[in-house]
Amino acid sequence: MSATTHERAKTSRTVAVLAGFVALAAIALLTFNVSREIRLLGSASSDNVQWALSQTEVEFLEFSTRASATEPVLKDIRRKFDVFYSRIDTVNHARVFEDLRTNSTFTEQLSQISEFLDEGVMIIDADDVGLLAELPKLQAISAEIRPVVRRLANSGLEQFAKTADDQRYAVARTMTQLAAVLASLIGALAFLVYYLNRSNQRAVERERQQKLTAERMNTVIGTSLDGVIVSNQDGRIMEFSPAAEVIFGHNFEDVVGKEIGEVIIPDHLRGAHDAGMERMRQNGQKRVVGKGRVTLEAKRANGEHFPVELAIQSAVTDEGEIFIAFLRDISKRVADQEELVAARDKALAGEKMKTDFLATMSHEIRTPLNGLLGNMELLRDTPLNAAQGRYMHNMETSGRLLMSHISDVLDITRYDAGKLSTRSEPVNVSALLQDIVDSQSGMAASNETSLEWGWDGEPLNWINSDHDRLQHVLMNLIGNAVKFTKRGKVSLTAHSQTTDEGHAITFEISDTGPGIAAELAERIFDDFVTGNTSYDRDVGGTGLGLSIAKRFVSAMNGKIWLESREGEGSKFFVELPVTLADPETKGDLNVAETQMVENLNILLVEDNEINRVVAREMLELDGHVVTEAHDGRQGVDLAQQRAFDLILMDISMPIMDGRTAANTIRKGDGPSAKTRIVALTANAMADEQDDYFKAGMDGILTKPLTKASLRQVLQAGHQQIPTDSLVIVDTKHVSETKEALGEDAFAKLSGRFAGEVDDLIGWLQTAERHDRTDIASRAHKVAGSAAVFGVVALHEHLKKIEAAAKAGQDGEVIELIDGLPKLWRASKSAMI
Amino acid sequence: MFKSIKSAGLNLILVFGLGTAAFAEDIPAPTGDVLLSVVGEIAVTNAEDTLQLDFAALSELDSTAFETTTIWTEGAHTFQGVSLHVFAELVGAEAGTFLATAINDYTVEIPVSDAVEGGPIIAYLMDGEEMSVRDKGPLWIIYPYDSSADYRSEVIYSRSIWQLDRIEVVK
Repeated sequence: MSATTHERAKTSRTVAVLAGFVALAAIALLTFNVSREIRLLGSASSDNVQWALSQTEVEFLEFSTRASATEPVLKDIRRKFDVFYSRIDTVNHARVFEDLRTNSTFTEQLSQISEFLDEGVMIIDADDVGLLAELPKLQAISAEIRPVVRRLANSGLEQFAKTADDQRYAVARTMTQLAAVLASLIGALAFLVYYLNRSNQRAVERERQQKLTAERMNTVIGTSLDGVIVSNQDGRIMEFSPAAEVIFGHNFEDVVGKEIGEVIIPDHLRGAHDAGMERMRQNGQKRVVGKGRVTLEAKRANGEHFPVELAIQSAVTDEGEIFIAFLRDISKRVADQEELVAARDKALAGEKMKTDFLATMSHEIRTPLNGLLGNMELLRDTPLNAAQGRYMHNMETSGRLLMSHISDVLDITRYDAGKLSTRSEPVNVSALLQDIVDSQSGMAASNETSLEWGWDGEPLNWINSDHDRLQHVLMNLIGNAVKFTKRGKVSLTAHSQTTDEGHAITFEISDTGPGIAAELAERIFDDFVTGNTSYDRDVGGTGLGLSIAKRFVSAMNGKIWLESREGEGSKFFVELPVTLADPETKGDLNVAETQMVENLNILLVEDNEINRVVAREMLELDGHVVTEAHDGRQGVDLAQQRAFDLILMDISMPIMDGRTAANTIRKGDGPSAKTRIVALTANAMADEQDDYFKAGMDGILTKPLTKASLRQVLQAGHQQIPTDSLVIVDTKHVSETKEALGEDAFAKLSGRFAGEVDDLIGWLQTAERHDRTDIASRAHKVAGSAAVFGVVALHEHLKKIEAAAKAGQDGEVIELIDGLPKLWRASKSAMI
Repeated sequence: MFKSIKSAGLNLILVFGLGTAAFAEDIPAPTGDVLLSVVGEIAVTNAEDTLQLDFAALSELDSTAFETTTIWTEGAHTFQGVSLHVFAELVGAEAGTFLATAINDYTVEIPVSDAVEGGPIIAYLMDGEEMSVRDKGPLWIIYPYDSSADYRSEVIYSRSIWQLDRIEVVK
């Protein structure tokens, strides 16, 4: 719209100017005309002509006077006649008399005079005598023609008056035209004046508006909490708002006109900034401008660097392209964020520590418990009286319950740490269900409850699943049902179905027990949930059973749910996706129990003394010869010297762990290089078992050891038993920590940790004697750090040192300290 | 001092006078009818204070001829005569006015500045023939009217005096 207005204004201005020019040209032309007319009037040719005409009479009179003189002078007469003759000739021929000659009267008079002249010439041109003789005649015709000459002289007057009138009229007309043109010029000028005045008013108004807008803009910029910096195309500062002054600590007066890079860009970013400006000047490439909010580092007047969030926009003005930057000091926000991240990391580390603590404690409790149970088993084989046998039984029951609680806690910890993995192996469902029912039938019978199982539909005997997890889950559910159902019925029904995704199997455990209240049913799979009735207390429990079952089912990608109504019994369902398996032709292990194995020469590598003693006792009772080694190194050395029939190898040991030892034995060329090696471990994860086999082990035996399991192993070939074990570095934990701390912080902290360990090792290896308490506390401190970084083996090792130092077992402490550098080297390489 | 300047000015006049005097010797006293009498501030004389020029004397002077129309005649005519410029040089007129008078005593004023090369002539021949009094002769001041619009003005027309017989040079 302003363009149209502008266009229109331009057009009317052009028209006005053109009109002015036309008027000026007309005035010039008319002025020229007028001046010509005036000049014509001034040097009136007609006057001249009139004079020339009147001169005819004068000259005629001069002639006639000479001719009529009493004493005529012939020469004078002739001269005056010639002059008159010449005059009339002129009147006859001159252009100036053309107009007059159109008049018939004038022409008539002129022809009469010409006749007179023709007559007179003959007289005048005669010789003097002749002239004198004819003089009277000349006088006579002169007198005759005189009135004609007079009329001729006057005849022009009328004509000239008319001509003069015409001229005056022409002048008057030209003057009128001039006046009209002048009037129009004045009109045009007046219009121009009006127009200019109006556009001037508009310009003033526009200027006022612009000033208002600019003031408003300045107010907006001035009151903005964000700093506003405006720069020109060369990066020179044009505006620096009060907020920017506060943020950067510069005064507007000090920085205006300066290069923006010099003022607010930190030195180490100047190169990038200058390159960016250059790029923009070269080819208009903009990386930050118009790209929304960007976070960058900026510099204050005192040189301090701080983070800013900024947005830059460009605009094209009369002064060229300008850049408007809105900046916000976000150092507080960034600091808050960092604090928050640190708090989160701390919390995560705390949570991790707790989980680690639980795992470690469970593990630590299990080791002595294994010792207790093993010794009890040995004790039972000694002569006992009835009461002693009963006490033994009670002790064993309590011990196994405690063991199962610890296992529960360990399972939960593992699942929550994401370490719970499942295996896929061929499982005979019918055999599994029969075993479970068999094991619970005694309990059911004592509750006067019937217990039965069966297939609903086509039996699906062989599936791929995790045998132990599945057994655990079903055992738990059946156990609960049997526990809570008195004088009722518990049934286990298996139902197989084929779905789009493959096969699935559903187990339904239903009982006629008291049922579960809806309120309780909602949270029955949560941790530590137990019924709140006195009846519930009768049966007791940790409240972890179902939550573990749920975790196991989830780990196997299955579902677990329940249907129950209070007073009418409960139904638990477990649905698992499965794949079909080929029937396995496994020898019945139970048969082995009955077959006595020939006496074997066995190497037992185990660091824990009690466990070692239990295992040796059990083996020796069966008639085997046992050689003991206290760590992997000793084990390797013994295997190098002698040929054994079997090597039982603990996994986590000082100096050299079981895997390394097995690997070393296999790679060596000692007499026992080909001997069967069976791993002894309290806990081995599924994915770790492969590692054991890779290290050259042939089987795995889970603690606590029982005579039965020992016998099985002695018989069997590759018998895989789910176990767990410690590794040098928990890589998953390390990567989590890395993620939480960030690469840099992790590197920094792990560097510090490495320093701590190095210091400790250096300190421990010095010749001087150390106080046991010092050793214990320093080992404890570094052990904590090791746990944080997931250096599990080192953590274990240091804890052993701590424990040994506290217990005053100097020999053990020295032995452990000797093994520390090697472990630390292995840990370091594993950490990388 | 003053005297010497004065005498120098006098010498100059003398030299000039001698020059023109020598030139004037070429113009003898008239033998035929005198066509033009020149009086006034003139450097050359041949009859007492005046310069009397007959047809022969005029013919002796450098002549100029051109063709032009006039407002008093019909058609174009060739006029020949002494350029007023040559005439002015002859009489030593550098400034001032020629008072040109005709037979009938009609007088016009012609400024000396009009006497330029390519300017007016004192014509004594029209179309190669002498002009009688009846034909506005014997002498007629003719400007080259056709050569320039400046010569076609009333003032110039009024200066174009015919039947000329006297010129007075006034300063």
